[in-house]
Amino acid sequence: MAPQLLSSRTFKSLFDSVDTFLFDCDGVIWKGETLIDGVSQTIDLIRSKGKNVVFVTNNSVKSRRQYAEKFRSLGLSSVTQDEIFSSSFAAAMYLKFNNFPKDKKVYVIGGEGVLEELQIAGFTGLGGPEDGEKKAQWKSNCLFEHDKSVICVGLDPNINYYKLQYGTLCVRENPGCLFIATNRDAVGHMTDLQEWPGAGCMVAAMCGSTEREPIVVGKPSSFMMDFLLQKFGTDSSRMCMVGDRLDTDILFGQNAGCKTLLVLTGVTSESDLLEKGNKIEPDYYTRTVSDITKLMDSPSK
Amino acid sequence: MLSRSVASAVSQVSSSTSSLLPNSKQLFSFKTLSGYRSSSFCGGSIRKINHKPLRMTSSSMTPRAMASKQLENADQLIDSVETFIFDCDGVIWKGDKLIEGVPETLDMLRAKGKRLVFVTNNSTKSRKQYGKKFETLGLNVNEEEIFASSFAAAAYLQSINFPKDKKVYVIGEEGILKELELAGFQYLGGPDDGKKQIELKPGFLMEHEHDVGAVVVGFDRYFNYYKIQYGTLCIRENPGCLFIATNRDAVTHLTDAQEWAGGGSMVGALVGSTQREPLVVGKPSTFMMDYLADKFGIQKSQICMVGDRLDTDILFGQNGGCKTLLVLSGVTSISMLESPDNKIQPDFYTSKISDFLSPKAATV
Repeated sequence: MAPQLLSSRTFKSLFDSVDTFLFDCDGVIWKGETLIDGVSQTIDLIRSKGKNVVFVTNNSVKSRRQYAEKFRSLGLSSVTQDEIFSSSFAAAMYLKFNNFPKDKKVYVIGGEGVLEELQIAGFTGLGGPEDGEKKAQWKSNCLFEHDKSVICVGLDPNINYYKLQYGTLCVRENPGCLFIATNRDAVGHMTDLQEWPGAGCMVAAMCGSTEREPIVVGKPSSFMMDFLLQKFGTDSSRMCMVGDRLDTDILFGQNAGCKTLLVLTGVTSESDLLEKGNKIEPDYYTRTVSDITKLMDSPSK
Repeated sequence: MLSRSVASAVSQVSSSTSSLLPNSKQLFSFKTLSGYRSSSFCGGSIRKINHKPLRMTSSSMTPRAMASKQLENADQLIDSVETFIFDCDGVIWKGDKLIEGVPETLDMLRAKGKRLVFVTNNSTKSRKQYGKKFETLGLNVNEEEIFASSFAAAAYLQSINFPKDKKVYVIGEEGILKELELAGFQYLGGPDDGKKQIELKPGFLMEHEHDVGAVVVGFDRYFNYYKIQYGTLCIRENPGCLFIATNRDAVTHLTDAQEWAGGGSMVGALVGSTQREPLVVGKPSTFMMDYLADKFGIQKSQICMVGDRLDTDILFGQNGGCKTLLVLSGVTSISMLESPDNKIQPDFYTSKISDFLSPKAATV
């Protein structure tokens, strides 16, 4: 069925059929550091009607704790750390659930968020933002050391050759080295005014040099969904995934059997959605999250 | 890894890429190797060469069912061809160290009247700079015998009549800048952009020049987020902007001690953010092969391609219909060659090119 524009009639049936709303963040709740209009009231309204609210973000630059702070600074102080599932957290959980030995080290090409989540889970993460200052030395007989057993790659605005080389050598030469990607989003709204290269860029750089494909823990991989379903003990058919990106958010929801709602405040426009080449169709779409507030109050036709 | 979107490559190439002109061999006249006249290629009056669309895949080649043979009769191979094309990293040198026996081997081949050509995917230097490197290592090689992927990028833009009023954004090193300059193209970027920082703050908008008509991506040790974003913006927002890659080698021998992440990494990053495949001008694309066969008027069946990498050098030779010789002095080991996962079988293999000096059975 073609995606339906959310109306007061269709909204009521959607709202009554779900217990939990999963929200993506970039392009849905905020754009860069700017809150999208009407989001705060909408989240409060959804909660007041007895529904659960969960936030699932592929952006690995921050930890869950740092995201809770961001929500607070934007006026959404009702959001707690336990309701936030970032891909930085997912990476640490992946290693934990696979019993990755705590004495082995992880090299991080990404932000502080990943380092913090690794530390909380009891792992040793090295690299991260400070390696953005390092320069590779290519002198004769000078060997570049590389002793880590996992490379975790996420969005990294401090990407440089040193990090690419470090990660490449670990994956190519350390036996059994894991290559984990937090996510593969091509671009995202890192600032409110324009899109910027996403983790998909850094991950593809590493694929280019290692000739290997990574284990992806973020959307649309089902890892975070399996984790959520187990944690909340709920049925995916009683969940609605709200996101701005078809090939991560909507696919993530569809793969698990959730209902899906696309908003147009992020990377996807209405013409992107409706164009012939598009194969991913959400159940519903609407302009912005705050349409939920408008539709909640209007009588159904 | 080899199914680059040829279709999109072809559709982006302008209509001037019809098949080679029947008398294209006469475009550049050459005497025998020992006394050849240099062409007016470098920057002067350049004849337009009509190139076939960039071919990347091995779809046009006969499947090679036969396993590679160890080179036992070097003389026979040498006598069967007129031209040797050598890769450089891992064949002639490793980092800045010459591989044993190379000078004598090249001298011997020249003495036998063979034409020597050097084709490297390394885009950090221009042909002129490579000429200096050969000289520093004591090798007698002319600039016109060298074809680096930096040169290939400029030559490609010339072959499609890339407008001189459009600019090229370069994610790569000096070699590309020098070759573009020699060919008369305007460029932006290069190593200097490695110093540029960005701060992802509210209200910050990164601007980019709208007259950038091509982004050229190659090996770049000064790679950073600024360049990735600049290139991404040009490719996504400037109508018709070309995305050209000098090469996609996963790793390269920057030093003799170990491998280093190669151009495939930088190109991969731009593919990741733009979700577009590039036009590749370096090996294994046949662009450089077509170019030099045309320039020197040589038949491809009279060429032996000598390289250390299966998915670039050997595939390049095979796609071009040449004989192929793998040397084990670079990135490929005998176990990689013989692995059941390997689908690329060169005609012959040997340990290093100086095995040519012992005509019979070189030990591997």
